[in-house]
Amino acid sequence: MHAQSWPAVGSAQAASLADDWRIFTYAAIAVAVLVWGLILFAAVRFRRTRDNPAPRSQKDQNAPLEIAWTIGPLILVIALFVVTLRIENTVEARTAAPAARITVNAYRWGWTFSYRDGPTIDGTSNDPPEMVLPVGETTAFRVTSSDVVHSFWIPDMLFKRDAVPGRVSEFDLTPTKEGTFLGRCGEFCGLNHALMTFRVRVVSPPGYQRWLKYEAAQ
Amino acid sequence: MSAIAEPRVTAPERHDILSWITTTDHKRIGVLYMATTLMFMAVAGLLAVAIRTQLARPGSELISPHGYNQIFTLHGTAMIFLVIAPFALGLANYLVPLQVGAPDMAFPRLNATSYWMFLFGGLTVFAGAASNEGAASAGWTSYAPLSEITISTGLGQDFWIVGLAMVSVASIMTAVNFVTTTFIHRAPGMTMWRIPIFTWEMVATSLLIFMAFPSLTATLLLLFVDRRLGGHVFDPSFGGSPILYQHLFWFFGHPEVYVLILPYFGVVSEVISTFSGRPLFGYTGMVLAAFAIAGLSMGVWAHHMFTTGAVNNPFFAFVSFLIAVPTGIKFFNWICTMWGGSIRYTAAMLYAVGFLMNFLLGGVTGVMVASPPLDFQAQDSYFVVAHFHYTIGGGSMFALFAAIYYWWPKIYGWRLDERLGKINFWLTFVGFNVTFLPMFFMGVFGMPRRIYTYSGEGALPLLNLVATAGAYLMLLAAVVFVANIVISARRRDPAGDNPWHGYTLEWATSSPPPEHNFHRLPPIRSARPLFNIEHPEADQS
Repeated sequence: MHAQSWPAVGSAQAASLADDWRIFTYAAIAVAVLVWGLILFAAVRFRRTRDNPAPRSQKDQNAPLEIAWTIGPLILVIALFVVTLRIENTVEARTAAPAARITVNAYRWGWTFSYRDGPTIDGTSNDPPEMVLPVGETTAFRVTSSDVVHSFWIPDMLFKRDAVPGRVSEFDLTPTKEGTFLGRCGEFCGLNHALMTFRVRVVSPPGYQRWLKYEAAQ
Repeated sequence: MSAIAEPRVTAPERHDILSWITTTDHKRIGVLYMATTLMFMAVAGLLAVAIRTQLARPGSELISPHGYNQIFTLHGTAMIFLVIAPFALGLANYLVPLQVGAPDMAFPRLNATSYWMFLFGGLTVFAGAASNEGAASAGWTSYAPLSEITISTGLGQDFWIVGLAMVSVASIMTAVNFVTTTFIHRAPGMTMWRIPIFTWEMVATSLLIFMAFPSLTATLLLLFVDRRLGGHVFDPSFGGSPILYQHLFWFFGHPEVYVLILPYFGVVSEVISTFSGRPLFGYTGMVLAAFAIAGLSMGVWAHHMFTTGAVNNPFFAFVSFLIAVPTGIKFFNWICTMWGGSIRYTAAMLYAVGFLMNFLLGGVTGVMVASPPLDFQAQDSYFVVAHFHYTIGGGSMFALFAAIYYWWPKIYGWRLDERLGKINFWLTFVGFNVTFLPMFFMGVFGMPRRIYTYSGEGALPLLNLVATAGAYLMLLAAVVFVANIVISARRRDPAGDNPWHGYTLEWATSSPPPEHNFHRLPPIRSARPLFNIEHPEADQS
């Protein structure tokens, strides 16, 4: 099972989410390196030495400069907002005809995965359940909880959604890589929160159909 | 500055316990606040070491799950409510009247009431640990329904609620005091645009407290009603709403993080200006930026709820992004304050530069987690843990130590040892980054926060071991800090009135200042009255 290292980016939505990570990380590093550079330059260049025994100037304002460092970052964050808006719209887009529909119920400390017209899978932290998804096809999720707030999180798909009691939250995921991935609870829910995991096994569409038949025969 | 603060014979000060309990002197109350918060910090810091010890290796069974949940709940609660915020309130208690040239706070008895309510509120939170099921264990956010009586059955949660309600009310009363003191007790000549930057930041902080803390008090009260009086405010089976709890909590909780940082922006501004030998660059912009941050921070609370699917993510993302603009203004102004100066690297200045380096990373990662799609992974993961420790730990806590090294000689009349202070800084700086840098990766790799154990797969064991090593370096730094106080207290190296060559009013009086602060005030013609005395030729008025 793939777990606890660089995310596999195993869904179509995760590909967009990874773009968001990349753009924001590069922007953050660029800004940090620029400002760190300025801080360190000023900190070293203007330290008190024999050649620099006293401050050279008492100048304390510069209107053009101050306007520039207000407008510049403003433009940057507006650009970042446009990026974020587009990516969120892509990630949260819903399909009209999903290949599978699963209702996830989280509870202390386990998960129930109810497939519409299919099996219901349940497991607790002692014996975590396994969810099976067809690769390349979209699955529609409905997530809720029967006690406290939990969060349905698949780190390899860069995605989580809170499971809130009394409320149903919906989203789609389209796995793009076959394999088994670790899923877990993302919102602190008490004693066994650390152990509240599940597995996501992504298989080929024929394999998925075989699994459905097998489960129906059980 | 001897011309200003003539040494004068005053009645000997009383220092018995009764005098400390009954004092209404803002300086003594300030010292009480700061000493209390440092005690709480020692406890909360040791709890953090316990957390890192437990997580050093996968599958560790050193601490029980319930014990671990209590430990991180108390660590977070204490650091936020009982250390970082109230230390600033204590420091401001000491400094605000001095900086504006007032003899005391506007309401001295209210001030004493605030302190004692804060102290007993804090002790009440910790006292929960002695109850039958131990201390509160639902996290510092205590989300309902996890914190409801059906799940968190112990008294610890009630102690937590009652204690924090006391702290919350105490903070509101103190904020009233700061605003009133600053607005109507300024010395002649101290116009609003001559108020020192630290005091300005405290005005902005106080306004945030007015707006945010009533929501905290209400949330705590509602939770108590749910738990003990049969209310169902947050109970979905009776039409209540867990999402409502999050809205109410974060309506307080996000402004709170700026309550945790704005005072320290003020500290860093003062320290950098003094040790660079230059006026604060862009003073007006700095003040406006503080109020812009305070205002914007009231409209970002639901960025803590991006993964609920129940809030308008784009709106809260946009307002959150906007906060980067005034914060950026502050950074550029700090850099320009150093620019062209002659910087003296004291322990205080090292801590201030350390603040800049760390807080920058907290800031840019803050913009990252303000992007909802990115937050779908980062939310409630160690990425967020790393981010907020870079702001509150690497930021506020570093400035807290800068403040201690900078104002200690004013408070006691003798200074802390500079060499030990520098060792203290470097150990803290290296230890801090070794602890928290790996946590960004832990989060990306899928480690949730608030877990007492993890499995041995992948990169998590190594990253956690490194983080734990860093925590022990910081523990060593804390030992050096305590040793510094003990050693310096024996030596009592006299500091004089103005050891750092500061230009704000607190340096115009003796160290420690007399009971009513000033025997005589210098003329105030700018934000740096002592500079005008030293350089009459540069006096523009």
